[in-house]
Amino acid sequence: MSSNSIIVEQLSKTYQVPEREGGFSAAVRGFFKRKYKDVKAVQEVNFTIAQGEIVGFLGPNGAGKTTTLKMLSGLLHPTGGNATVLGYTPWELKPDYLRSMTLVMGQRNRLSWDIPAADSFLLNQAIYRIPDDEYKETYKELDELLELDPLMKKPVRNLSLGERMKCEIAAGLLHRPKVLFLDEPTIGLDITGQVRIREFLREYNKRTGATILLTSHYMADVTALCERIIIIHQGQLKYDGGITDLSHKIAPFKLIGVRLSDADSHDLSGYGTQVQNEEDADKKYIQVKAEDVTRVTSRLLADLPIHDITITDPPIEDVIEQAFNQ
Amino acid sequence: MFLIFQRLWQVNWAEQWQYRANLLMYLLYWLVSPIIYLAVWTSIANANGDVKGFTANDFITYYMVLLIVDQATSNIVIHTFGYKIQDGTLSGELIKPIHPMLTNALVNNVAFKALTIMGLIPVWIILFFLFKPDFSGVALSGILIAIPAMILGFLISYLISATITALAFWTTRVYSIHEFYFALILLFSGQFVPLTLMPPIIQNIAQYLPFQLFIYYPIQLILGKLSVDQIIQGYVMAGIWLVVSFLLFTWVWRAGVKRFSAVGA
Repeated sequence: MSSNSIIVEQLSKTYQVPEREGGFSAAVRGFFKRKYKDVKAVQEVNFTIAQGEIVGFLGPNGAGKTTTLKMLSGLLHPTGGNATVLGYTPWELKPDYLRSMTLVMGQRNRLSWDIPAADSFLLNQAIYRIPDDEYKETYKELDELLELDPLMKKPVRNLSLGERMKCEIAAGLLHRPKVLFLDEPTIGLDITGQVRIREFLREYNKRTGATILLTSHYMADVTALCERIIIIHQGQLKYDGGITDLSHKIAPFKLIGVRLSDADSHDLSGYGTQVQNEEDADKKYIQVKAEDVTRVTSRLLADLPIHDITITDPPIEDVIEQAFNQ
Repeated sequence: MFLIFQRLWQVNWAEQWQYRANLLMYLLYWLVSPIIYLAVWTSIANANGDVKGFTANDFITYYMVLLIVDQATSNIVIHTFGYKIQDGTLSGELIKPIHPMLTNALVNNVAFKALTIMGLIPVWIILFFLFKPDFSGVALSGILIAIPAMILGFLISYLISATITALAFWTTRVYSIHEFYFALILLFSGQFVPLTLMPPIIQNIAQYLPFQLFIYYPIQLILGKLSVDQIIQGYVMAGIWLVVSFLLFTWVWRAGVKRFSAVGA
């Protein structure tokens, strides 16, 4: 038992969401009698995570990832089931528990907007009762990995998105938490920023043996960091296992995007499944099996007047949607 | 624990300095009503010789001291904390191993006070030369005995406001509730008019309510107008209200956090 950092048993969360139709009469009716709808955000989820593991927590928007992270960090009370993290029941919010875990969520947690990050760091040192020498050592390590020094003296509001994320993550790790819950730690960062955070997390895990549970929209985050993946979809656990087994389960697809000189006159359905992409309407996308990419691409280039061609991984949501939403 | 408060002070003091222009506007806004009361009551007393035994100088000294006492005991926690509950930013603070309202928000309020009192000093000096109050009745012992009373008054006012702020866990209308609470303070604290000039029924009620501890009681201590019995009674009331408001606050806060974590932080 002691080697398991996180134990989740039949964990469920149902939100009651007030429901109301538009219009005046509905507003009046709603004033006297509110209707509620039950939204099952998380339904009887089970898993255990051993100490030192890095686990990727995946699922489309609204799958229940953040709700689960909030329950595990103690912010939310479940409506059913149980969870223990490091032997504590998170939602009791025991100070000893709060001192041994961290939740990095968005960019608004630990840093005060108006003052330099250095001051917020010192405050965290006091709040988490970090002895001076340990603080200095941890800061030095974090600075080595994230290059914090040049950012420390500027008011946080003047930092860029990536710089702020680095400071936010560092602030969340000053107390050397044994468990890290990271909700989208690389969101909004450029590729170099993403890579740097990833490398940092891997290194931190290696040095401290901390357990990390992270959600991400970027498949690359997950493939780079996690050997194990948990997928939830519509509140239910759909997959829990190794990342390599997952790729067998999910047929590996690639997206080929082409820009043609006269797009409408060509029918691409013979090359693969056509996919809609609203963001980039003047490009046509087809989805093909990974092993067919080279063959299809060369055919496309030979057959059609192509201006531009891209080959990308499909978004993680789409992959999961396809695999588990039959 | 001491280190936490020291660092909280550094952060909040620096933060308040960022908003000094804001703060100055607040101070000017806040100064308007006591100065009006001061001007109105002094001119009435000047015209009639006195109001129920209150001379013009009594009013001037009362309101000149009120400016300081009110600044020392009032709080703005509803404005600095209410929105955090409503928009969910509280989440980030709830998972820190310190109490958000009894540490950070409290120190923030004290930093705010320290800065407004600094801004008040020049205004006070100008008023001093304008109205030329006679403070000969004030003794050092009165001021010394008033300091703990002001600290108690602030803590009680803070805890009651914090309790009302914590109602934001249930309703979005905390600001109107707090406005109503301000009206009670105005009536029963001695801010609108010294309590001795109020109808006896209000005076009777007021002595059991916490509001006079914010303003009237410390002012009377400073001005040396209370008998030993009255001083003791005031401190006993302050002690009782401190315990009551603390218990009330912790109860509402706990229930509120429970609700917060049930409906979705």
